[in-house]
Parts: sequence; structure tokens; C-alpha cells
Amino acid sequence: MSPNEHVTLEELRSSQAQEVLRRRAESLAQAEQETGAIALAGLLLFRLGEEWYAVPIEGVREIYNEYSVTRIPRVPDFIVGVINVRGEIMSVTDIATLMRVPSRTEVDLTGELPPAIIVASENCSSAIVVDEIGDIVDVPRDSIEPPLSTLDKSQSEYIAGSVYVDERLIGIVNLEKALEPVGETN
Amino acid sequence: MVEFDRSVFIAKFQEEATDLLQRLNEGIITLEVEPGNRSLIDQWLRDAHTLKGSSRMVGLIEISDIAHRMEDIMVKVREGQLGYTSDMTDSFFEALDTVVFMAENAGKDVEGQVDIEGLLSRLSELAASGVPVAAPAAPAKSAALKKKKLAPASEPEDADESDQDSDDDDEDSDDSDEAQLAEDGGGPKAAKRDDKIQSKSQATVRIRTSQVDRLLNLVSEVVISQIKDEQRVRDLRSAAVVAADSQQLWSRLKSLLSMLPHDEQTAFSDDMRLFDELMTDQRRTLMTLAKDYADDTSRVSMVVADLQEQAMELRMLPVSTVFNTFPRAMRDLARQYKKDVDLVIEGGDTELDKKVLEEINDPLVHIMRNAVDHGVEPAADRVAAGKPAKGTIKLEARQEGDHIVLLISDDGAGIDPEKVKTAAVRKGYITEAEAKSLSDREARYLIFEKGFSTAAIITELSGRGVGMDVVREFVVERLKGSLDIESECGKGTTFRLTIPLTLAIIRALLLRVSGQTFALPTSSIEETLRVEAGEIIKVEGREVIRRQRRTIPLVQLRDILGLDPIEASDRKIPIATLSFSGHRLGMIVDEFVGEQQIVIKTLGTHLRRIDNVAGVTILGAGEVVPILNVPDLMTNGRQMTGMRTRRAAAVKEKEAGPRRVLICEDSFTTRELERSIFEAAGYLVETATDGAQGLAKLREGLNPDAVVTDVQMPNMTGFELTRAIKADDHLAAIPVIIVTSLERDEEKAEGISAGADAYITKSVFNQDTLLDTVERLIS
Repeated sequence: MSPNEHVTLEELRSSQAQEVLRRRAESLAQAEQETGAIALAGLLLFRLGEEWYAVPIEGVREIYNEYSVTRIPRVPDFIVGVINVRGEIMSVTDIATLMRVPSRTEVDLTGELPPAIIVASENCSSAIVVDEIGDIVDVPRDSIEPPLSTLDKSQSEYIAGSVYVDERLIGIVNLEKALEPVGETN
Repeated sequence: MVEFDRSVFIAKFQEEATDLLQRLNEGIITLEVEPGNRSLIDQWLRDAHTLKGSSRMVGLIEISDIAHRMEDIMVKVREGQLGYTSDMTDSFFEALDTVVFMAENAGKDVEGQVDIEGLLSRLSELAASGVPVAAPAAPAKSAALKKKKLAPASEPEDADESDQDSDDDDEDSDDSDEAQLAEDGGGPKAAKRDDKIQSKSQATVRIRTSQVDRLLNLVSEVVISQIKDEQRVRDLRSAAVVAADSQQLWSRLKSLLSMLPHDEQTAFSDDMRLFDELMTDQRRTLMTLAKDYADDTSRVSMVVADLQEQAMELRMLPVSTVFNTFPRAMRDLARQYKKDVDLVIEGGDTELDKKVLEEINDPLVHIMRNAVDHGVEPAADRVAAGKPAKGTIKLEARQEGDHIVLLISDDGAGIDPEKVKTAAVRKGYITEAEAKSLSDREARYLIFEKGFSTAAIITELSGRGVGMDVVREFVVERLKGSLDIESECGKGTTFRLTIPLTLAIIRALLLRVSGQTFALPTSSIEETLRVEAGEIIKVEGREVIRRQRRTIPLVQLRDILGLDPIEASDRKIPIATLSFSGHRLGMIVDEFVGEQQIVIKTLGTHLRRIDNVAGVTILGAGEVVPILNVPDLMTNGRQMTGMRTRRAAAVKEKEAGPRRVLICEDSFTTRELERSIFEAAGYLVETATDGAQGLAKLREGLNPDAVVTDVQMPNMTGFELTRAIKADDHLAAIPVIIVTSLERDEEKAEGISAGADAYITKSVFNQDTLLDTVERLIS
């Protein structure tokens, strides 16, 4: 079984979900048997413009589709506003603007809101808006390479590494860096 | 002088002991399975030793003695002189339970509840023999005891049995002839003690503060829905009133209809009767519903208020936990400034929210530093003025209603309002004319202005003007409290800090600007008015209104917040006038929505500090509304109205072309934040990601008006960069501003010795401090 195996959300929802889960459990068990031979990293893929990125699955709290954003005046341009997640107030980060990568459009609060992934670093959580949420994949840890050296410095500091998934180069977002507190540092 | 309060240290000991006891207990459990585990025994001995030492430190001699005896036994086990037996486990558990009880009731009178002497002697016996002496005395066992003493190596079964016996034979204990045990009154007490230990050890629970915070979060959600409910009660009441009015109207109609000819009435008499019943029914139902709902709500209100109070109390701590570090701090300060000062503390047992407590330490230290430095005169001057040579600073806490009042008074020279005015005019905070119109009290308040200092040089440690603005930031912005100074020249100064007991709930005015709702804390609003457009007059190019013979400058709230204008209605213009630190400013808004209680929430973990916004609240409908930060609004608003001399600087800027600033900062967010601040103020901004890159740019001929640098950066730190700039003849004239999270005095001193012109810590960092400092250095 390929460790690179691809499990889509649609598959999970389908009637084959049980089968998929069973296969996944088997593959995980197998990985365990091989005691670290293939250490896997779980990634949640998402798209910004034409490119695909990922956040480590440990950093993902939940996916949020229906929300209403309150604008906060005079914040950096990558802060869309704040949302109320069951009593907890959380910032909404436009990750494309933050990383200076082209994205579909500006986030329009009056129109339909793009999907958001609630991510958490050690001491900070935020909802990041993306163009499209993709699959959850497991990749071998040793297949993760350092970020491309050709990347612009302002971009590369947000990328923790890159990995090929289905021939596509995926940039893995450095959550610690992307979620630096706004208004104070350290 | 200050009374030494042991209770604080006891609390610390209790915290430490809880962990130690937990480990000691676990150790015993593991030892029973692996009696030969040497490293475990060593760890256990270390813990027991720590317990012995710390308990002695806080004067809990009994605990120390018990720990000592336990240590004796365990040392023998380690040395192989004793074999570890399950009897030891029992004795150790008994001993540890007693310690738990003693630790939890530290400082209280527990005499008669615990049989320390008995326990100690039993432990001694155990150390001597390897087998515990049967716990409480009982005649049936006296013989057994003696026997055991004679035969130290008796089997564990025997001991178990005797323990069993002891429980059964408690009643007869009086007959005990065993001297040690008789002394303690024997069995019944011991048995009673067991119960007591059980119940007492459950009297307190240790909870993580994060858990308390989460609980408070949930309680505040309940409070929000309660506020919503109260609103609904009012709505329902008005619905009931409408129903009553309708019925009255109907009654009048009915009587009019009854005057119609009889045959015409019959056509609708059935409907009329039916409608009549419906009206009565509807009114009655609504009235009952409104009444019941109101009753229920007010009942729940009481419960919610109680719940909130209880939840808040979970976090209440005596202010002495903060105050107790002050005598030491005061001694250091006095030595630093070469003054002779006594500190008197009163009201240390006043309780305050833990969150508030965490925040009051810094402002209090700043005020005390100010009192020692500027307040208390040198001994010679004091004697000459007929005062005792030694100065006195008094720190007092007391509760007044739902506020805590903190008073810090000194018997020093007092604050001379004229001196403050002169300095304020010199530094461009106010104009000559404004200085003349200021009352003494307003003038004294100027010392809380950002960066304000009566000293002339910005680089000087105490003259830098950081300090009193920190006091204002903490007390007013973070704690939503107020500040007042009373001072009499030659007699002394009193700072009065009034702080709300709770940080969670305030009253606020809801208003709308550019289609968005904001909350403005009522405490800073002087009045709300609606004026005709004609009442707004222009004075020296600024819009103002006249109120009670005072001129109040006006500013569009949406301009401060950077929001787009919406088309103006031709109705009266709503204005909220704010009063803060001696200044007034009228905020023009689009619409007032209403006043209500709101629960304050932070902006979350990501947005730590946002200009103009103090937090958010969630309205009944679930709508999230930003709460405006009045001090920020005032500063930014005053800048816009040109109240500050910034305007003059801007004119000069136009003549000289834009200014350039170089920002050296490795954090992207901070760098971009600083960039946006400077760009917004019209600067040309160059950036570097570390000191080396910055220095390279400078040497390449970039000639900025100022360098703003972080300290901790790769390749070259900010201190190194500063030294390099100041050592370079071509660059030395460029002012260097260090912006850093290092805020210890030594670090500031290092920054200044490196040659920095200003030192701003990130904790007090905001747009204003940065711009103010840079502009002051450039001009």
C-alpha cells in the first residue's frame, strides 16, 4: 500500500467510507509495525489561486464554512476581521495576502465567504481563508524537502517545507510564523 | 514597618507541597511493587528532604518533623538496614495524609484534630524496628506492642492483625499503659482524626487558572443571554400594554356599535362576541406571560448575578500578594536614588481579581519610583523644610462599592503645576495659550502623557518619560479604571487609582459609523448630543462646538477608524463628547443605537494589540461588535484636529521633502507593522532583516533621518548595530531608536550605553510612542 495514498473528503462521505477507513487503519498499523521505517506526516491541502499549499493536520482545529466576519478598523491588510466561534473570538487571516501569493479575489464580506480553516499554533489560533479546501494526505516525513531556494524571502519565511503529492509541488505553511501575534511580538 | 506576612509564603509552600506530596505518594505505591528500586528511593528521599526544608522555612515544624522521621526510615531502607515492608507503606501513607492535612490547614488551629506526637513516635518505632508500632493504643494490644518491641522482626501478618484490632478496640484505649500513647489521649482521638483528615483534605481543591478562566468565559456567555432575556421581558411588557390598549379601544368601539339599530347588530353580533372573547383572552394571556416571564427572569437574574459573583470570587486574591514584594523593592529604589524612605502598607487583605492583580504591579512600581525619585526630597532639604529626615511613602488599598481604590502618597515636595506646564509647552504637548487655561489639576495630569518628562534629555534613564504613561496605559486602558493626583507643593503627592473589581462587564453606548456598530465605554462619555449642522462652527480651521462656555473640538469617528463615509442624512448630527486625562473631544458618529451592559472579550490570541480597539463584545443576537479604546481615540483624534504640534512638523516636512527611516527587524509582522506606521505618517521606509544588512545599507549611502531597530536579530544585534553606527563618523548623527521586548533596566542601560537615542519596549509600543519619539529626535 502506498504511503502516499490519497483520501479525499468525498470518498470519506461516500458509502465506501468504511472501507477507506479500514484501509487507512491498516496502512497506519502497517507503518507502525515497520517501527518508524515510514514516519508519516498528515497534511490538509488547500488552494490559493493556482497553487496548492498545506497545513500540518496537527495544527488544524476545524473547518468553518458558515461564518460572519466583523471588521476591525486599522488592522494589517492580511487581517479580514474577527469571528465568534462558540463564544471564542478569533481573527480571520487572509493567508494569500499575508504570504503575498496571488489568490482568486479579495475577500468580499458582503458576498459569499470562502472556506476557512481554523488553525492553531502553540499560543495562537486564527481562521485562515483559502480558495478551496483539498484532501487530507499522509506523506512520508523524509519526503519533505526544504522550501525552494528560489522563493522570495517574504514568502519563504512562511513555508516550512515542500513535498510532491501527485506530481504537484505543495508548500507546507509554517504556522508558527504565519500566526505571529499582531500588535506585539515575542 | 511592614508586618511580615507568613501566609503568602505558606500559600507558596502549599503549592509546592501539593506536588511533593503527590510524588511522595506515588513513590510509595511504586516502592511497594519494586522495593529495591534505588533511584526511586533516592528521588523519594530528595522530595522528603525538600518537604522538610520548606516546611521548616515557613514555620510548620510538625510537618518538618514528620518528614524528618520518614527520611530516617527511608535512609535505613536505602542502606539495607531495613527491608521495605507493606507496613511501611501504611505508616508512610498515614504520615503523608497527616502532612496533607497539616499543610492545608497551615496557620490554623488544628490542635486536638491530629495526633502528631503519636504519629512521630510510631514513625520512630518503625525506624528503630522496621515494623510500625500498632497505631492507637489499646489494652488488648499493649501486650502485643511490648512483644513487638522485644521482637523487632515480627511478621507483617502480625502487624496487620494488630491494626485490625486497634480499630475494634478503640473504646478501651483509656486503659493503655503505654506511656507514649497515653500521653496523646489514645485511640478515639486518632480514629476521629482519620475522619477529619478525610473531610478536611477535601475542603479545598486545586484548579488550574486556565480552567477558572474557561469557566468565567462560559459564565459570561450566560450573562449575555441573561441581558438578552431582560430585553425580551421589556418587549413582552410593551406587547402586553399594546394588547390592553387594543382592548380598551375595542370597548369603546363596542359601545358605539351597540348604539346601532338592533336589527343591524344581529348581523355581526356573533363575531363581535367572539372577537370580544379573543381580545380579553389575548390581553390576559399576554399579561400573564409577561408577568411570569418577568418573574422567572428576575429570579434567574439573581442566580446569574450570584453565579457571576461566585465565579469572579474564584479568582480573588488579597492585594498583599503583590504588596509584599514592595518593601524590598522600595529599599532597592531608595538605595538607587540615595533617599531615605519608609514604606507603610495598609489594607493588604483587600481582595482583587487575579487578573487585575497581575496588572497593578507595574503601575504601582512606576508610581513608587516616581515618588522616590521626584517626590521625596534629599534628607538635607527635608530637614531644612522642617520635615523628618526620613520620607514616608504610604500604600493603601480599600474597597469602595464595586471599585478598589489604591492610594500611593508621599510626604515629598509635591508636583509643581507651573513646572509641568513649562515642560509641556517646551515639548509641544500644549500651546502657551492652552497652558494658561489649564487648571492645576489638569496640568498635573499632563505627566501621564506618552513620553512626557520634565527632564530635558530623552536618553536619560529616569527622564525618558516612560513610566507615568505606562501607569495610565495599565490603569485606564487595560483595567478601565481612573487616575487622579492630589498634590500640594511642599506637602506631598497622592496618586489615587480607582479600579473596577471586575474587568469583565461594563456599560457601553452602542453607535453606528459607516454602517458598522461599535461600543463606546460609557465611563468616558461626558454627554451625548444631537446638534444642528449650524451649531458646528469653525475656529482656526477646526470644527468645534460650544458647550457651557467651553469649546470642544470635533472629529469624525470614521476618520479615526479609517472607514468610508456614507451619505450624510440631513437630520441632526449625533456627537458623543469624551473626556479623558483633562482633554475633551467630540466624536461625530452616524447614529446612536442605545446604551447597555456588555461583556468584554479580547480580540483572540492572534490580535494582541490593535489601535483604537479595546476588545469586542457579543450582542444578544450573536453579533460581534468592536469596543472602542477611548485613550487611543483621544490621542488619534487630537492628532487629527491638529491639537498637537504635529501639524507644524508636517508643514516643515513638506518643505524638506519626505523623511526617511530605516527599520531593522527580523520579525516580518513587526517590520510590516512599523513600515505601515511610518508610511502612514508620510515617511519613506527602508527595511533590513538584521543588523548587518542594516549597517550595510547605511554604509552604502542610505542616509535616513532615523534608524529604528530591534535588539535580538540574527547576524548582528541591535545593540551591536547601534554601537557600529555611533562609532562611525559619517553615521553617528543619525538617531537610533531601539524597539524591543527586553525591558529589564540592565538591558535598557545596555541599549543606552550603546548610544541609542531612545529605547521603546514592545509592551508599551504603539503607533504614537514610536512616531512621537522619532519626530522628537529628528526635529
